[in-house]
Amino acid sequence: MPSPRILTYTLVITGAPYTSQAPQTALNFAQAVLAAGHTIDRVFLYGDGIHLASVLAAPPSDEANWTQRWGELLTAHEIPAVACIASALRRGLLDPAEQARYEKPAANLAAPFEIAGLGEWVEGQLQSSRVVYFHSGA
Amino acid sequence: MTTLHILNKSPDHPRFALCLAAVTGEDQLLLTENAVLALADTTLTLPARVAALAADMDARGLTGNGLSRYGVGFDHMVRLTTQASRIISW
Amino acid sequence: MTTLIIIDQPPYGNWAGREGLDMAFSLAAFDQPVALLFTGAGVNWLRQGQQAELIAQKNVDRNLSAATVFGVDQLLADSTSLTRFGLAPVDLLAGVETVRFEPALLSSYSHVVCP
Repeated sequence: MPSPRILTYTLVITGAPYTSQAPQTALNFAQAVLAAGHTIDRVFLYGDGIHLASVLAAPPSDEANWTQRWGELLTAHEIPAVACIASALRRGLLDPAEQARYEKPAANLAAPFEIAGLGEWVEGQLQSSRVVYFHSGA
Repeated sequence: MTTLHILNKSPDHPRFALCLAAVTGEDQLLLTENAVLALADTTLTLPARVAALAADMDARGLTGNGLSRYGVGFDHMVRLTTQASRIISW
Repeated sequence: MTTLIIIDQPPYGNWAGREGLDMAFSLAAFDQPVALLFTGAGVNWLRQGQQAELIAQKNVDRNLSAATVFGVDQLLADSTSLTRFGLAPVDLLAGVETVRFEPALLSSYSHVVCP
């Protein structure tokens, strides 16, 4: 029997694509959460997980493009997705504002991801009825 | 308070033992990703309430007799997260 | 409603432990109750006399020593792990409380995060 309660979720992804299975496990879990009628408040990318938001990843055409697959799900369901700014800047993930601030030659944040602070994660902990983490398995 | 423990590390990873040390008899353990290899590890004793993502088992060829009873889908994983009062991802 | 952040990764060789510490300090900065538990190789964060500048990294011992001032409620360390890595109380940063890693320890925290 499916639970009649509608729950809200924050998903935190700390494992990177092509380094860990985390983006795939998290995506399949997110699809199942939505299919069960629950809500995803936000997706937060932390640590190596921020690589999921790089528009520059160019995997071979016979491999899954996790940035694109996640982008489609987030857009279709209007789920806010945030890459931690401290994790992102260190690893070379920039939006146009950070590109300008640090005078870098390019920005590479994929839509619909945004860059923001750990406060977004703290808020997720406070607001969502469930927080589920997807770490690197290595 | 029942806890859902989501474990994705291979049995050789230090966090595998750390997770098992935190599981009580009432807790639910869900094996995902490389952790499903624990079902084939003859040196391990797993807690009573254990399930594993069927896709991760099948992907690794863990389809032998007696193993399929552990396999669950992502819909069941969601149900486990709704039932637990606390979730720890190891 | 206290969050327990478990640090089981050793310092400096990878960033996981450091980013776990950042999560704890972030909760504290937003006035949320938080405790840190060091276990496994993670107890090496607590060793006195670290000179991380020699490998071009930041020393965290000053931050950790002041963690309770910054709003981290507890600094806990697993006793078995301390013994394993030859750490006696006198070797540790100030303010560390020795505990046993077991389900009863975790049960008092509403959120447990193992980054």
